[in-house]
Amino acid sequence: MAVRTVRDRAPALAAPRRTGLSDRTRRGLAAWGFALPFLALFLTFTAGPVLASLLMSFTDLRSSDLRDPLAVDFVGLDNYARLLQDEVFLQAAANTLYFVSAGVPLTILCALGVAVLLDKGVTRLRAFFRLGFYLPVVTSIVAVAVVWRFLLQPETGPVNQLLRLAGIDGPHWLTDPVWAMPALIVMAAWRNMGYLMVVFLAGLQAIPRELYEAAQVDGAGAWARFRRITLPMLRPTLLFGAVITGIGYLQFFEEPLVMTRGGPLNTTMSVSYAIYDQFGFGNYDYASAMSYALFVAIIVLTFVQFRLLRPRT
Amino acid sequence: MKRLTTVAVALAALTALSGCGREAGGPAPDRPAETGAGPARGTVSVWAMGTEGEKLSVLAEGFEAANPGVEVEVTAIPWDGAHDKIASAIAGRATPDMSMIGTTWMGEFARTGALDPTPPGFDEDAYFPGAWATTVVDGTSYGVPWYVETRLIYYRTDLAEKAGVKPPADWAGLKSFAKGMRDRGGARYGIALPPGGTGSWQTFLPFAWQQGASLTGADGGFTLDTPQTAKALEYYLSYFEEGLSPAALQPGELEQGFIDGEIASFVSGPWHIGVLKEQAEDVLDGRLGVTGMPEEETGASFIGGADLAVFKDAGNRDGAWKFAEYLSRPEVQATWYRTVNDLPAVKDGWSGITDPMLKVFGEQLGETRTPPAVSTWEQVASVIDDELEKAAKGRTTGEAALKSMQRKATAIGTGT
Amino acid sequence: MTAAVSRARGGHRARRSGGNRVWAVYTALAIALAVAGSPFAWMLSGSFKTDAEIRRIPPTWLPDQATLDNYRELFERLDFPRYFANSLIVTGAVTAGNLVFCSMLGYALAKIDFPGRQALFALVMAALMVPGAVTFVPLFVLISNLGLVDTHLGMILPFLAGPFGVFLMRQYISGLPDEVIDAARVDGAGELRIFARIVVPLARPALAALGILTFLSTWNSFLWPLVVAQSEERYTLPVALALYSIGQNQTRFGLLLAGAVVVVVPVLVVFVALQRFFVQGIAMTGLK
Repeated sequence: MAVRTVRDRAPALAAPRRTGLSDRTRRGLAAWGFALPFLALFLTFTAGPVLASLLMSFTDLRSSDLRDPLAVDFVGLDNYARLLQDEVFLQAAANTLYFVSAGVPLTILCALGVAVLLDKGVTRLRAFFRLGFYLPVVTSIVAVAVVWRFLLQPETGPVNQLLRLAGIDGPHWLTDPVWAMPALIVMAAWRNMGYLMVVFLAGLQAIPRELYEAAQVDGAGAWARFRRITLPMLRPTLLFGAVITGIGYLQFFEEPLVMTRGGPLNTTMSVSYAIYDQFGFGNYDYASAMSYALFVAIIVLTFVQFRLLRPRT
Repeated sequence: MKRLTTVAVALAALTALSGCGREAGGPAPDRPAETGAGPARGTVSVWAMGTEGEKLSVLAEGFEAANPGVEVEVTAIPWDGAHDKIASAIAGRATPDMSMIGTTWMGEFARTGALDPTPPGFDEDAYFPGAWATTVVDGTSYGVPWYVETRLIYYRTDLAEKAGVKPPADWAGLKSFAKGMRDRGGARYGIALPPGGTGSWQTFLPFAWQQGASLTGADGGFTLDTPQTAKALEYYLSYFEEGLSPAALQPGELEQGFIDGEIASFVSGPWHIGVLKEQAEDVLDGRLGVTGMPEEETGASFIGGADLAVFKDAGNRDGAWKFAEYLSRPEVQATWYRTVNDLPAVKDGWSGITDPMLKVFGEQLGETRTPPAVSTWEQVASVIDDELEKAAKGRTTGEAALKSMQRKATAIGTGT
Repeated sequence: MTAAVSRARGGHRARRSGGNRVWAVYTALAIALAVAGSPFAWMLSGSFKTDAEIRRIPPTWLPDQATLDNYRELFERLDFPRYFANSLIVTGAVTAGNLVFCSMLGYALAKIDFPGRQALFALVMAALMVPGAVTFVPLFVLISNLGLVDTHLGMILPFLAGPFGVFLMRQYISGLPDEVIDAARVDGAGELRIFARIVVPLARPALAALGILTFLSTWNSFLWPLVVAQSEERYTLPVALALYSIGQNQTRFGLLLAGAVVVVVPVLVVFVALQRFFVQGIAMTGLK
């Protein structure tokens, strides 16, 4: 009651402001107000399940316990210890690292190149090109798999035929333990480029035109303008692109699923694929442990990216 | 919103309380209960996958006509995601009355305790023995077979004729069959056996069964490195060593290679009749043959398909079992074959099938094996696939591959 | 206006440095486009082929005998309006929710200095990295306990405000100049007013991107709607279409491709509708 009285009287005391709260407090309240819907949904639908699955990773819960999930034993860190001796998981971790370190830069470079060209390099048919480069994102994975398998066919595929013109004997891409992964990396870059392009196109809009015009007056060439204006101004969006692609690629899964089933000899087996397998086997405990190992890897990668790309002050 | 948060917190807390732990000795064994007499009543909700789900309502009409007062609600579920959907439904206690369940999933779902044991009154002998075996977990049956499939050797009759070889009777026969079609028949490969990779165990294990191998021992543990399996693996690998089988195959290459005459034979299930005919009816007309598995100790092949299971949480348990009983009648099984081409799991359902190729499948069904109905089977199978690939590609010896299979399978255990 | 000016200027430059470079750019883009678009083209042409032709190796680019059978069968067997409506309800609600809630929080994280800001951003980032597969079963148990099984709400609520959108909006808005917002604050505008009147218009390109990406991922989502739906009446379009991969070992490719084409149309419509926000040169004149 007392509190209420004070608050009721506050506006009068703090005239001409409408409320008696300081600007800082009001802004803080507004900010938490803005956060409220997200927080409420997050606490309800994410926090609980995350906690539950984290706990799972410390138990021996299998799919056969689903009906009665409380009747399981705590096994401490056993599931995590098992990871270190699981040769499939270790191989998958190495493969995923390979995929991320080659795939993320490749995809970002392609997407950025296309976005800049479509934003400034061309004027005619721009909308048409934009739509065209977005098509891989929306193409059904079934069609993608069929066409890419055909492209990479050892004898008759266009890729190897082109290589033959250059005097190179192309490998059996998808069944060769050395070349299967590079093939999937290129394919993933192709598939995800359009997604990032959309984000980068938006980011390019936040750069004031005047900066370019001023630079042009100063006689800066196209490359200089790109390096000194576009890149620094696009930093927040680039960071976003790098983080999202990194997170996505650490969970690399669909390409090996449709193209190689993780083979040959598990050389395209990814951590997410291994999790999917364990989940399918009904080993919810172990699948959770793998997921949280991946979770930690994602946090580390994101932290590094924030360090590398944070705004220079 | 507060209520929602409370539930979330409660859920997390409940999980945290799992200190209760497992009961010693496991849960009490299930006892099958009788179903009530008289016609079925009420609503029966059924989940079925793919074509079966789409067409099941055709059979349901007959059941509804025979049981006035019952209504069958069929929900078709895509094969992709079906396993996850059933698993989630069991966890969330949101199961239907009855569901179609892939034979290799039975061990896993039965052990959740969500499936109702098959009531007395179903005649085990009416079904193919291999099919009935897929429903049995720890000595209790948890459903009835619905339809079956088994594997045969598909071959090009024209190439066999050119090579002057006859369909094989035993292992030596299969080897010379494949060699003949390659060396004299003009094929590049005599037979395409899967060189490892997902599902290759379904082709490899029959060779072990043909030597009389048993995959589990008296104590229930895995026995994958017996002399019988060693012999089977040595034989299987010899096809790759002698260049009779391709060491790598991309999806789609098998069918195309067979149509082009590059691949003279392969092992697969009845669906390949339709796939091949659709793709190249003209080329293969009169040139497509199927023959049974070669016989050593046994002539066993793999059996797959789907079973019908009733859930313990079913609202209409009686109705569901009565529907399962209806679907097992020979005449209904025959109708089902005519509707969706699913091969009858009930022996008497075969009387109306005259297609000569399908009849060969029917003969093979008398001699089939099923992998052990343990809840970890899919995982053990993937170990077999992996080791088989390593051996087929020469990365390891057959002996080492078997040792590795046994070691890993033992570590995985049987889920008890 | 601005676009016209810069186009004229670009024209001058092109003439000076030779039209060859422009041609080179267009040729490079055209080749890249052919590579990017060929699987889509094959999907489109495949939807007019027979299953036998689709399986053929090497694939044909144009149907030998074009047929509408796949589409005919699709529309005959499918209760299309119902599945389409279900997809539209779920996708529309999720997209709208993400646009509103994510941009609100994104603005707060980018431009308001308040206690708990760092922690909140860390939470959003952590949420972004949560492994999806393993929270699946617990989430379904929760939805089941809330009585939301077999409802649209059960498909919508868990995805109504994703961390992805918050991160995207926060990054974009933090790139906008502080001056405008500070000026408005000095004029005594409240945060809600600043958000609605200044930030949202300036963030339109990012909202368009978020709209496109959220629509795409929600429209295509498969496993969650499948698990929540207990009856075919609740199926979304991708779930219903997946019924055509008819067996464990058999697939009707023609139907599948025709279905994929049908599914993709609304996504392309949304893309085309929103891509006008990617036009060159938002007027930033007057800002420093």
